[in-house]
Amino acid sequence: MGKIKLIVVFFFCFFKTIQANEIETYIILENCKSCHGQNYEGNRYFKSLKKTGRLMFELKMKEYKRSKKNSVMSIISRALGDDDIKKMADFIYSEKINK
Amino acid sequence: MKKLTSKRDFLKRIGLGLTYLALSQVLDFKKVRAKYRPKIVILGAGFGGASCLQYFKKFSNKFDITVIEKKRSIQTCPFSNHVIGGITNLSDITFDLMKMRENKNFDIIFESVSYIDSEKKTVKFENDQLLKYDFLILSPGIGFKWNKIEGYNKTISNYIPHYWDGNKDLTLFAKKLSDLEDHSRIIISAPEYPYRCPPAPYERASLIANYLKMIGKRFKIILLDSKNTFTKKDLFLNEWNINYKKSIEWISRKNGGKVEKVDIRNKSVTTNNGSVFKADLIHIIPEQRASEIMFKSNLVKKDWCDVNPNSFELVDHKNIYALGDSINAWDMPKSGFSANSQAKILSLNLINRILDKDYFNPVFLNTCYSFSSANRAFSITSWYRVNASGTKIVSLGSKESDIDGTDYDRFEESNHAKGWYKSITNQIYD
Repeated sequence: MGKIKLIVVFFFCFFKTIQANEIETYIILENCKSCHGQNYEGNRYFKSLKKTGRLMFELKMKEYKRSKKNSVMSIISRALGDDDIKKMADFIYSEKINK
Repeated sequence: MKKLTSKRDFLKRIGLGLTYLALSQVLDFKKVRAKYRPKIVILGAGFGGASCLQYFKKFSNKFDITVIEKKRSIQTCPFSNHVIGGITNLSDITFDLMKMRENKNFDIIFESVSYIDSEKKTVKFENDQLLKYDFLILSPGIGFKWNKIEGYNKTISNYIPHYWDGNKDLTLFAKKLSDLEDHSRIIISAPEYPYRCPPAPYERASLIANYLKMIGKRFKIILLDSKNTFTKKDLFLNEWNINYKKSIEWISRKNGGKVEKVDIRNKSVTTNNGSVFKADLIHIIPEQRASEIMFKSNLVKKDWCDVNPNSFELVDHKNIYALGDSINAWDMPKSGFSANSQAKILSLNLINRILDKDYFNPVFLNTCYSFSSANRAFSITSWYRVNASGTKIVSLGSKESDIDGTDYDRFEESNHAKGWYKSITNQIYD
């Protein structure tokens, strides 16, 4: 019984992804702003996502996603598909976000 | 032939007349729409209300926006335990709202509200003045269930304050702690779910312990709980063991942890199995419900407001929206992070409604950071969506920090918590 529960929890934690469309990606990013700043500028405690650069952003997000460590960013990234991460990068590193 | 022509003319004229009538109505409608400036009133300038304002003020050319707040400054609940624990100054978590008056994109009224009339669409102030609204957003915070514990009520709470609503001077609590003798015993009573910020009673115990340890006093904190478990329990117990050894003891409800009686004179509490605990300092965190204004205005049936999870409009009251601690948000906990995340959806979808656009599918996020000492923190995080039938908000699976996290992990999370607080308060109060 315990094992079944574990499998169910595992399934929910690791396979339930957001699979966002473009508008939902915008909403996801609105939530990211809570920590990373209105224009992803970061602060003393968080690096600027803008300065991180698109390539590094995508690499780091995928690294967080694969990480077995339960950091906030790993938990956040695991719910995102690779497509979601790409769409997020499209938003962050285009002018869209400022419109 | 002539007759036929005149018939055709007649029909033509009727046709033209009807077309003119229809067009003029559409044009008139457009004229009204163009002039129509809906009045949006936001009650409460805490994390929820101030986050909504952040979105609406971008549309100040289309809407009239008014914020109502009874206090001239906001003392945030996030990081209030840091003030109690002597880590942070009260001024660092207090935000002056007076400067908002200089903003020309919205009005701010510093008054208490006595009644909301959902039929007449008015807000009545304590001074009996009325304010009309088209759309009302309620983010008034939390209310309390009094008389649940014998000997403890609203009046008694003035003598042993709960410090759970940002209304009392936190430095007085800090002073009480510094006045304690060596080997003092402190009792903290944690309420039943749901309540504002689920891990906060345990963080409060941790930061009180951290403070007493820092000033070199020996102490015992007994955490009497109305629940049998709590969020991040293993992490807290582990941290207490690392940092405070046996100085913090947690007693669950089934082991007699639910406080049923308080005797202020004798400084003691009695719990559900008849045990009596004496203490030098008693701290009761009362059971909670929606803010009082919701009950006064008949906007709530049970303890919490029922909302539509896509729009946050009250289920039984059109054009009134609510978010944050006063609503039943299903899987989402009552936290500043949650209120901010809900505010994003509420605001964007209300703007969509007014502008005749489709609603966005909600996506919510919550992270609750908790500190066990000044530079050690851990968290719980989850994404949320609305379920397939559109009836409630569900978690996509929450996860806590690793129990075997390193000292550096705890330090890093403490910095992330500070970073979140700095970022969010900059956005909503600057």
